[in-house]
Amino acid sequence: MERKTTWQAYRQAVRALPRRLQQEALSLEEEEQSRAEELRLRVGWPMTVLLPEGERALGGAPVESRELDQLLEIASQASVHAVLDQLRRGYLTIEGGHRIGLCGTAAMESGEIRTLRTLSSASIRVARQIKGVCAPVLDGLCPGGRLADTLILSPPGQGKTTLLRDLIRAVSCGEGCHPQRVSLADERGEVAALYRGTPQLEVGPRTDVVEGCPKAQGLMLLLRAMNPQVLAVDEITAPEDVAALETAAGCGVTLLATAHGWNREDLERRPIYRAMLEKKLFRFCVQIKREDESRSYIVEELR
Amino acid sequence: MVHLTGAILLAAGCGWLGFQAAEGLRRKSRSFRQLAQALALVERELELGAPPLPQLLERVAGRSAGPAKQLLEACRRGLDRLEEEDFSQLWRRQVAAMEILGAEGQAVLSPLGDVLGRYEGRAQQERTAAVRRGLEELAGRWEEERRRQGRVYQVLGLSAGAFLVILLL
Repeated sequence: MERKTTWQAYRQAVRALPRRLQQEALSLEEEEQSRAEELRLRVGWPMTVLLPEGERALGGAPVESRELDQLLEIASQASVHAVLDQLRRGYLTIEGGHRIGLCGTAAMESGEIRTLRTLSSASIRVARQIKGVCAPVLDGLCPGGRLADTLILSPPGQGKTTLLRDLIRAVSCGEGCHPQRVSLADERGEVAALYRGTPQLEVGPRTDVVEGCPKAQGLMLLLRAMNPQVLAVDEITAPEDVAALETAAGCGVTLLATAHGWNREDLERRPIYRAMLEKKLFRFCVQIKREDESRSYIVEELR
Repeated sequence: MVHLTGAILLAAGCGWLGFQAAEGLRRKSRSFRQLAQALALVERELELGAPPLPQLLERVAGRSAGPAKQLLEACRRGLDRLEEEDFSQLWRRQVAAMEILGAEGQAVLSPLGDVLGRYEGRAQQERTAAVRRGLEELAGRWEEERRRQGRVYQVLGLSAGAFLVILLL
């Protein structure tokens, strides 16, 4: 398994900070930079770093409101108008796939968030891609060398998106299976993290990505426009998503998706997923079990 | 012979000064025109898809000329140093360095830096259009000035040259 980036990813992420905070973030020791998961900025408090063992203040002067404005200016390259959709969702993706979460006073319009008027906090999440996590399950999911319809299942924070991304990459590269064209509906930009049209996280040379639109619409667009062999989507949450997957399955496309849940029984208890299981859209279900730093996978055949 | 050469040089020098003064007026009106044209392209880009500022400035600079091109290129380069200077300051600094615009032209163009990239696409478009109209008005005024004064400067230059030549000979 290859852990792609260490402190370089951290250094790339801190470039979004204003000069003073950048210097403060770079004062962290190299070993800690390579383990840092997030930087957190809250107006009136010193900036903190989130390490696997917990959150720790970096010891500098408290963050000022104008520094959060500067952060937004740098992260958006002075183009707030171009990231308004992301801002409304509370985050924006920067070069390298790093994600900046923002919150503060929302300005509402017609019952929906129009923008964030005043920023109060921000978090910079350092993107690190772990290649090779799908290796233990790849053989089992590719009978005859081709990926079969697969559903990845786990509670939040267990590594569903990481496994999905690596499976997409492997199938797209033909690593351990027959290479196939993959189309990815990446609504929140968490899987490929497009930045100026380029995926910042590796999803393979035969992968086409649509992001920023609801999953169901993205799936239908990909189906019409890109003639995929494999259609991938992160987090099925709505009946429309299931309907779009059903349409795709009817076109002979292989499905690769994730869902929140503990196990098959948990899925069967919820109407959206129960319908999906009854329609037998997926052949395999992969459950992720995480203990401390290690993950294990259980592959179950559904049909 | 020396006198004659000196007189010719003096006449040519005075004539050159007159033509230069007229050319200055022409350059000024042309600069305003080029800036207005560049802002029209900015409006078009904002209407088509409101790309991020680096792309917008790059595209428009590529299709612009003169001081407009220089301004947009300098601002594009400055976007790589936003941790040192925000876009609004950068724009104002670059506009302030454009002496050819004069105080009046700079006052029209400077506030656009507070708008570009910060407002929604439609609002940016409207404000850009307003600044463009201001620049077109100034371009028209300087064009009129050139028509009125340009010929006068040229004739004055040549006459002054001729007068000095007569005096010296």
